[in-house]
Amino acid sequence: MRLGRIALAAALLAAAPVKAETRDTLTIGLSTFPPSLHPLTGAELVRSYILAMVARPLMAFDPDWKLVCLLCTAVPTFANGLAREIDLGGGKKGVALTIAIQPGATWGDGTPVTAKDVIFTNRVNRHPLSGVVSGEFDRRVVKIEAKDDKTFVLHIDRITFDYNNLAGYRVLPAHLEEKAFAAPQDYAKRSTYETNPAERGLYFGPYRVAEIVAGAHVVLVPNETWFGKKPFFKRIVLRAFENTAALEANLLAGGVDFIPGEGGLTLDQVIALEARHPKRFRYLYKTTTSYSHLDVNLEHPALKDRRVRQALLLAADREAIARQIYAGKVSVAHSSVNPLQWMAAADIRRYEFDPAAAKRLLDEAGWSEMKGGVRHNAEGERLAFTLASVAGIKANELVMTVLAAQWRQVGVDARIRGQPARVFFGDTLQRRKFDGLAFFAWIVSPESVPRTIVHSSMIPAAANGWQGQNFTGYRNPEMDTLIDGIERELDREKRRALWHRYQEIYAQDLPALPMFFGTVGFVMPLWLEGVRPTGHSATSSIWVEEWKAK
Amino acid sequence: MMRFVVVRAFESLVVLALMSFVVYALIGLMPGDPIDIMLAGDPNMTPEDRERLRQLFGLHLPIWERYGNWLVAAIGGDFGFSRTFNRPVLEVMAPNLGRTALLMMSSFVLSVAIAIPLGLAAAVRQRRLADYGINLFCFAGKSVPPFWLALMLILVFAVELNWFPAGGIETVGASGIVDRVRHLALPVACLTLLNLASVARLMRAEAIGALRQDYVRTARAKGLAERRVIWGHAMRNALNPVVTVIALEFGTLFSGALITETVFAYPGMGKMIYDAILGNDYNLALIGLLFATLLVLVGNLAADLGYAALDPRISYR
Amino acid sequence: MTAALAKAERPAPRNRARARFMRHRGAVVSALVLTIIVAAAIGAPLVEGWLGHGPNDPDLGKRFLSPTWAFPLGTDEAGRDVLLRLMYGGRVSLLVGLAAALASAVIGTAIGIVAGYYGGRLDAFLMRLTDAVISLPSLALLIVLAAVDLKKIGVPDSIAYSDAVSLYRIIFIISLVGWTGVARLVRGATLSMRTREFVRAAVALGAPARRIMLVHILPNVLGPVIVATTLSVGGIILAESVLSYLGLGIQPPIASWGNMLSNAQEMLTQAPQLVIYPGLAIMLTVIAFNFLGDGLQDALDPRAGE
Repeated sequence: MRLGRIALAAALLAAAPVKAETRDTLTIGLSTFPPSLHPLTGAELVRSYILAMVARPLMAFDPDWKLVCLLCTAVPTFANGLAREIDLGGGKKGVALTIAIQPGATWGDGTPVTAKDVIFTNRVNRHPLSGVVSGEFDRRVVKIEAKDDKTFVLHIDRITFDYNNLAGYRVLPAHLEEKAFAAPQDYAKRSTYETNPAERGLYFGPYRVAEIVAGAHVVLVPNETWFGKKPFFKRIVLRAFENTAALEANLLAGGVDFIPGEGGLTLDQVIALEARHPKRFRYLYKTTTSYSHLDVNLEHPALKDRRVRQALLLAADREAIARQIYAGKVSVAHSSVNPLQWMAAADIRRYEFDPAAAKRLLDEAGWSEMKGGVRHNAEGERLAFTLASVAGIKANELVMTVLAAQWRQVGVDARIRGQPARVFFGDTLQRRKFDGLAFFAWIVSPESVPRTIVHSSMIPAAANGWQGQNFTGYRNPEMDTLIDGIERELDREKRRALWHRYQEIYAQDLPALPMFFGTVGFVMPLWLEGVRPTGHSATSSIWVEEWKAK
Repeated sequence: MMRFVVVRAFESLVVLALMSFVVYALIGLMPGDPIDIMLAGDPNMTPEDRERLRQLFGLHLPIWERYGNWLVAAIGGDFGFSRTFNRPVLEVMAPNLGRTALLMMSSFVLSVAIAIPLGLAAAVRQRRLADYGINLFCFAGKSVPPFWLALMLILVFAVELNWFPAGGIETVGASGIVDRVRHLALPVACLTLLNLASVARLMRAEAIGALRQDYVRTARAKGLAERRVIWGHAMRNALNPVVTVIALEFGTLFSGALITETVFAYPGMGKMIYDAILGNDYNLALIGLLFATLLVLVGNLAADLGYAALDPRISYR
Repeated sequence: MTAALAKAERPAPRNRARARFMRHRGAVVSALVLTIIVAAAIGAPLVEGWLGHGPNDPDLGKRFLSPTWAFPLGTDEAGRDVLLRLMYGGRVSLLVGLAAALASAVIGTAIGIVAGYYGGRLDAFLMRLTDAVISLPSLALLIVLAAVDLKKIGVPDSIAYSDAVSLYRIIFIISLVGWTGVARLVRGATLSMRTREFVRAAVALGAPARRIMLVHILPNVLGPVIVATTLSVGGIILAESVLSYLGLGIQPPIASWGNMLSNAQEMLTQAPQLVIYPGLAIMLTVIAFNFLGDGLQDALDPRAGE
């Protein structure tokens, strides 16, 4: 009898009305929660995603891949006179950029966003103890001066083709943060972003943070001082479910309206969801500059032979993987340059699936003795290596399983090794400890130069303090010259020729085996309009005021 | 009695101190360091950035020195800052601790409230269908993989039936007790099912023993109602060892909470510790683990005291 | 002479123990079920031979197949045979369970006998240590232990990077915290053994301590140790599955029930059967071990059961 009463109570609870459908609130589901919303102490995608709605970066590449001003009024160029060459003495040339801040830009507490804020941000970024993750750009700034309240001039110590690229540059509110920065070594702990993240004065975007419950959710409400178009939603709630099963279940149960491609579900999960619920949601797939590849350790005795690398690529049926695992929604990569990027060349070497050709190449390279299904060379060595990657990313594990099986077919023994992210990136890659191949991906801005990736000065080693991301140990003087040339060449067409040669060499030498150009999947309610994925490293949430309900 | 408490408290303190060093050293043995993790997230970081951050976080010091520094500060009441959250660890932990306590206490109360009558019922109907049914249920509860149970609950009650939310702590904006309870329902049910079994089984065994005792027979012979015999005599006597076990189970309950929190995306202590360990957040992981240990130690101590209070034959000197 | 006495002290004649065991229906059924599960795990290569494909052979053309004759339980997200993977995964899970239970039993018995036999300060120290280990939040500690970098404690790369390392590691760390129950049990039994005449006689005759512990005491405490070990296997299999679920246990491509579950959880709504099968396998095995332990307790240690 008592049991009966409990059951009744449970039923009553269960029957409690599900939240009435209100179209002025948008609930976004994310798979991680940012440790903080401070713009400079971390660069997690989810942090950028949320920050974009509450404070704009100075500039960004828009969904059409054009560099646009968000907090500033005009992108400085040599053509419009806002950028000019400066002489730094000693034959060194630099550039001075004149940038004006949007006249209406005002922090949520009514204080205008001014040049003072930019100068303060520069100070924080340059300070060795401030705890910011990346001060590289600000250290290139030799001088910064305020022309008036809303205008400042940056003097930069070099001229590169992307001299005016300040995409992603975020500004701090000097009036709130200056006090915390008085003791720079404690700044990260005393910053208002940490002590009172719901303070209005920290934000100047279309929204501001109204409530934040660490690990659970962030609530955004329209910011009264916003200078741009008035946003549609009266409230945006970002909820984090660090378990995709729970995230998906919440989406299906109505606890979440929208899962963005940035930091939500992985592509294979979105595809699976669409297969099960094709009509319930709108699915949006967007190809991105995310480039997945297998870095080759070029010191590996077998893999240092270019023919072996080419054979591996020929023996991998990447088309089949793209078709079967990703429902044809990713494209096979042929070099690190994405077809979406303007400098992509169409005529570079491709490696279509051809196991016979792979076998011929391996024979040619001396791996002709088959023993127990694995190739050996004349010295009796096995053609074997490991295939390392971050453990726990299911789609990656699946791809590696399939690759290993395909290589098995041509007599190559690849063993899969999953590692925690911290080991893989911190140790295996950075210390170049992978014994064969390493599988990972990165996402780039529209034209970023892979200096840290292929330049021979960027091979991490004890001698250079493990600097750089040339994990493969690739050395090619021609490549070095090309990279230097691309960076300095301001003329786009001349640069195109250099980029073309870069792709040729990359496809021929294969310092890394190109796999796919990624795609992100957005799961949207049928009534949501205006979300435009960018396809590169800028998040779609930068244009949140365009979002509305039908 | 007093002396016993003091000795046990002292022992617990020693355990805590040892635990703190072991954990501190073990975390130091984990691969990579926090900076490497930041590096993975930001390709623009340079080696100078890295070295600068290492100095800032004190990572260039040897582990002994770091532990010593930590201990001195901790004794002075300064538990340091969480590296990932940039907040004092106690401040980061407090809300998580509250939520985990809510989760654990609810399921603790529920499981005791269900397990004791269940165990008694089985004892009274020994070797009958109800007994076998309850026994099987208990074995199942002890044998189910905890996260699998959680996933099944999500699949059935959240996805298929849509009765309860599949995770989180509240519907944002829809404040109110009903909403909170709805969010707690599945995690608490999961944790309760996991902990019910051992208590119920023990209760059954103890009650069977108690029912055979002379005083129960006497009570029956005196013509007391069966109901009073069972609840008044058998249960009271069976309760002592059960209380001990319940308190000793606090460690298990905490492990269960860790898993439950992970699957239901419920931000609590267990999940916080897990993330802190994997995220190389020394201070937070350490304090979290020490708090969890403390919880278990206090539970054990309470069990000993409760046992003594319930059973006058035992005295601690 | 002492040996003969020791024999006489054994709890009960074997056939009576067997009769008591056979009365415990759950235990008998469980023994049967476990026999089948073990046979399936051992016989996995045979079934692999019949079916003509391996447990780790992905086939992208055959993802998420429903059960057919060629794939009796269908296929998973990589087109691999679910039945075969369950059978091979069973090998790993059972191996971890048995090996770690055995290792814990050995450690626990050694500590328990030593503490009980010598008594005094050593006993006090060992028992406080036991209490301390019991009071640790074991899962959280296991997580820390599972994340330790083997290379930082000087394990050579060839081992630290081998496929099987996750297997050894998990056995090791579970044994490291799993021995406490047995240690307490054995200490108690040893304490009572010490007061027995045949032990006191052996001491009086000047038999070395090691011999007394091994020959006189150990055989007499084995019964409860066997029971406790059997009962712990289930818990260890669960612990393995939890660690694998958290991504810290057995690493793919080696299949274990835990990592199969972990793998499948993202497909909970898409392919729930992939979550249900390994979960049921774990549950069935653990229930069976628990019932078996219960039955053994009735058989070997009749007083403790009631």
